Amino acid sequence: MIEVRDVTKRFGTTVALDAVSFRLGEGEILGFLGPNGAGKSTAMKIITTFLAPDEGTVTVAGIDVLEQPLAVRGRIGYLPENVPLYVDMNVHEYLEFVGRARGLQGPRLKERLDWCIEACALAGELKKPIVELSKGYRQRTGLAQALIHDPDILILDEPTSGLDPLQILGIRDLIRSLASKKSIIFSTHILQEVPPVTDRVVIINEGRIVADGRIGDLARQTLGGDPLFERDVDAAATTLARGRAGELVELHKSRIALEDLFIALTKRSAAGRGVARHV
Amino acid sequence: MSNVLTIFRREFAAYFNSPIAYIFIIVFLALNCGLFMTPFFLTGQADMRDFFANLPLFLIFFIPALTMRLWAEDKRSGTFELLMTLPMRSAEVMLGKYFAAVAFYLVALAGTLPVPIMVNVLGNPDGGAICAGYLGAVLLGALYMAVGVFTSGLMRDQISAFILGMVGCFVLFLLGMPAVASTIDGWFGGFGAFLQNAFGLMPHFASLTRGVIEPADLAYFLGLTTVFLVLNNLWLEGRKY
Repeated sequence: MIEVRDVTKRFGTTVALDAVSFRLGEGEILGFLGPNGAGKSTAMKIITTFLAPDEGTVTVAGIDVLEQPLAVRGRIGYLPENVPLYVDMNVHEYLEFVGRARGLQGPRLKERLDWCIEACALAGELKKPIVELSKGYRQRTGLAQALIHDPDILILDEPTSGLDPLQILGIRDLIRSLASKKSIIFSTHILQEVPPVTDRVVIINEGRIVADGRIGDLARQTLGGDPLFERDVDAAATTLARGRAGELVELHKSRIALEDLFIALTKRSAAGRGVARHV
Repeated sequence: MSNVLTIFRREFAAYFNSPIAYIFIIVFLALNCGLFMTPFFLTGQADMRDFFANLPLFLIFFIPALTMRLWAEDKRSGTFELLMTLPMRSAEVMLGKYFAAVAFYLVALAGTLPVPIMVNVLGNPDGGAICAGYLGAVLLGALYMAVGVFTSGLMRDQISAFILGMVGCFVLFLLGMPAVASTIDGWFGGFGAFLQNAFGLMPHFASLTRGVIEPADLAYFLGLTTVFLVLNNLWLEGRKY
């Protein structure tokens, strides 16, 4: 659905993206990881046609972002890092505005509004001015805005930043529930956010892709050993316990986590040893 | 077209969602009409020429106050990114915003309509001149708006946008003043006169307030307005690179 090929973007003398390439298939969820300032947002802005690449090409659903930006924008739902809300409007007015601006009207607009309000649990806040909303509701309103036209592709820039754990769970569940029908890229600098949602990651550091693949494969390749991730622990425990009924005394959880992988990879990229790729 | 209308509706409503609309209308009407009344009753002439003559100077302050938020606010709050990733051309977003500001100015201007009614009741004015004067006021406002919306785009901060817009309008105003033109002529022979003819505002506006509607004056206002809107759109398109 999305193909980024050798994209370079400079701001003055700073190289924000340096020959970045990755792709995202239909119905896939991609965790886009990297420290702050690594180039995640820049890459997302280029995919959503907000910025143009200096070099390289980006196609979304086969459409080139430079040739037909409007067609690309129509396919994408985008939640920028800085949630774009009109604070003088209330939630309903705002979502209706974005819906109309995205070409919805009449019963279709109403249907989509109802769906988004339900999916993002906004029903109680509809008539509240956005300026009075809590951070969590602002984030959800931003997400509802990205979903209003039922796009095939979702680009979410730090969708969980600044939320409390319960709110993070809510957003996570929502992203997972959308996964079957949509291709999703979400960025985060919080590594623990990724495994519960997807195991496909692209790790970017200082404008370069340092890893692209499944977390497990990347960990095996980079760190050696067989990492056990938290999402698998329960299943593994059950299997083990079933296999040797009564004999399981203690289960030790391997702590090879995403942080180790991330630190290893970003250090390695600093040493110039290239890209780990396991697609 | 429906895209322009969507943006227009949101921006027009935004004026009334904040106190700026009401403050603007009250101050604009009080100042414009108030300053007109004293000389009007002193001279006892049933025309509105003084009323329109004040506008080019007044609007230098009023119009940038309306346009300063148009892009600067979006850039600051992040909604700029939303607007520029909507499936519509940047020109459509810009025109929606521009027309909303112009429409708001027209509402304020409509508030001055009791003045011509009063003049009509008290005397026997030249209706044509008053109509041409209003046409001039609309065109003048539209031009200042185009300058203001353009300068708002260059700035992230509303105050800077306001000041830059004011400077832009003031330059157009000054270039049309004979004193300024002759001073520039003193530095570079003929250049001041050229600037006055090409960009100066006052000669074109003055002939409208006298009741003369010349195609050249209309072309000046509409042409220069278009130039600033096109510049604004170029900036919007060029921002990506």
